[in-house]
Amino acid sequence: MRLIRNKYLQYLLVGVAFLLPVLLRGVPTATVTLAASMVYTAIAGLGINVLLGYSGQISLGHAAFMGLSAYLSAYLTKQLELPFILSVLIAVAAPLLIGLILGAIAVRLEGFYLAIATLGFGEILRQLFIEMDWFTGGFSGASATYPTIFGQTLTKNGMYTFMVCLLVVLMMLVHNLVHSSTGRAMIAMKSSRSAAMAMGVNVFQYKLISFAISSVFAGLAGVCYVHFFRHVDPTVWTAGLSLNLIALVVIGGAATVGGAVVGAVVMHGLPELMKEMPIIGEIPGLPLLIVGILMIIILIFYPRGLIFVPRGIIDSIKKRFGNAKKGEV
Amino acid sequence: MSQVLSVKNLSISFGGLRAVDDLSFSIDRHEIYGLIGPNGAGKTTVFNCITQFYKPDTGEIRFTDQKGREHLLNGMPPHKIIGLGLVRTFQNTEIIRELPIIDNVLLGAHTEFKAGVLANMFAMPWARKQERELRKKAMEALKYCGLDQIANEYAGAQPYGVLKLIELARTLMCEPSLIILDEPAGGLNDAETERLTELIRGIARDHHCAILLVEHDMKLVMGLCHRICAISFGKKLAEGTAAEIQENALVQDAYLGKEDEA
Repeated sequence: MRLIRNKYLQYLLVGVAFLLPVLLRGVPTATVTLAASMVYTAIAGLGINVLLGYSGQISLGHAAFMGLSAYLSAYLTKQLELPFILSVLIAVAAPLLIGLILGAIAVRLEGFYLAIATLGFGEILRQLFIEMDWFTGGFSGASATYPTIFGQTLTKNGMYTFMVCLLVVLMMLVHNLVHSSTGRAMIAMKSSRSAAMAMGVNVFQYKLISFAISSVFAGLAGVCYVHFFRHVDPTVWTAGLSLNLIALVVIGGAATVGGAVVGAVVMHGLPELMKEMPIIGEIPGLPLLIVGILMIIILIFYPRGLIFVPRGIIDSIKKRFGNAKKGEV
Repeated sequence: MSQVLSVKNLSISFGGLRAVDDLSFSIDRHEIYGLIGPNGAGKTTVFNCITQFYKPDTGEIRFTDQKGREHLLNGMPPHKIIGLGLVRTFQNTEIIRELPIIDNVLLGAHTEFKAGVLANMFAMPWARKQERELRKKAMEALKYCGLDQIANEYAGAQPYGVLKLIELARTLMCEPSLIILDEPAGGLNDAETERLTELIRGIARDHHCAILLVEHDMKLVMGLCHRICAISFGKKLAEGTAAEIQENALVQDAYLGKEDEA
């Protein structure tokens, strides 16, 4: 039982589960593509969870950060022919830098104002993607290749495996972070600004830290996207994607490490699942409608997120079959 | 006797309201000092000015740390205050409900942590070691306040009396020279208040620190404080021992109303 409770092992198991489409024979490539969408949104979602779930800050501009890294990595590897690892570092440093500058301005704003400021910033960045066609290919977009790591050019499955490994490592890093003094300060800042300040937390600094972390994660997600789908165009990096990231964090479980992953799986997987259903799947639009209704229903019963569903079920079984002595603690 | 805190000619206004008006007082080392006054007298505002949550209009607030260095608190960012050894609680308790009790107490040691973001992310052994050491210290603080049995329970599920104690335990983490308590007995019953009185006295003795407190429970104030300052409408009415304050005509007027009005 104790082994199962080990978080690192849990994250590894999540990784293994994600690798099943690659490990099993005869899985259609469309499934790998779907799973890759889950993984890159989960990576960005992890960062948004640090920002939103743990630190209580909001951003509607992170999709643009993903796009920036995607374009940069495509440009650096293809036009400048830099090695993949180096181009990733540069591609992630850019949103980090911009995230810090935006953060330095934005952290003085709260709530709605912060949302609007980041929304505006994201849209400006997206317009730049359209305008700067020497760099981004304009509306038609830019292309990229599967990366070469240590002389080995990855296949589609290889790139997917790389993304899953990255996700697992990032989950472990976030787990470490939120269970340390940094995470504690973030949670304190979200829960009681006064207490955080009185206990010596520099609120300005910690908001910036959470902005920086989420920008880096968004950048990594963008890099994964461009080297998996090998194409990037400006229609992807809209505020709608930023909203989706927030939605998946809330649906999966805010302020939990696994929440973003659960959210990403459900938000990408459920519509596909519905489309496969007999009758329902055949009527256009109906699957999405049902997904929407399902999510509302689930959130009514599990407002803290889907990640608490198993625990909720176990608790209710325990309650039903004796064990009443322990009561609700 | 050396002073730990001196407040000189402190004034602050909100709009047209003079919340604190030319108030001066000082607290000696190891002293338990009480600030009393009717509702709305400006007691919590004084606290907020000292800890720089509010920026006072005029006046000087000076604090002497354990090493005898004097600091002018005016204009300091609020998060720097605790590093000097000056720590506070809040009238309505400011507790991180999402965290276990022990983590709430650990927050009080925030400035002690050496590890930065990356060291924490990669769980560097030295960072984990410091976390373990401070966790042990937090456990001792909880034990001191009688909360060690429930250290790992979530703070959000605790009754009000326990929240007050968590805040108190949290102040012990920073090697304080002065603890500011804003109505520590607010909302507590008689038995709890009596235990709290002993606890506060013990903290001042065992941690060699001074305590400044605001409290409406007169039994607690009179029994505990070495000196008391009574204020009304932001102005100082009287200062002295419990007996002197009780005798003071101005204080009686402020609390009970003037005789000719009655």
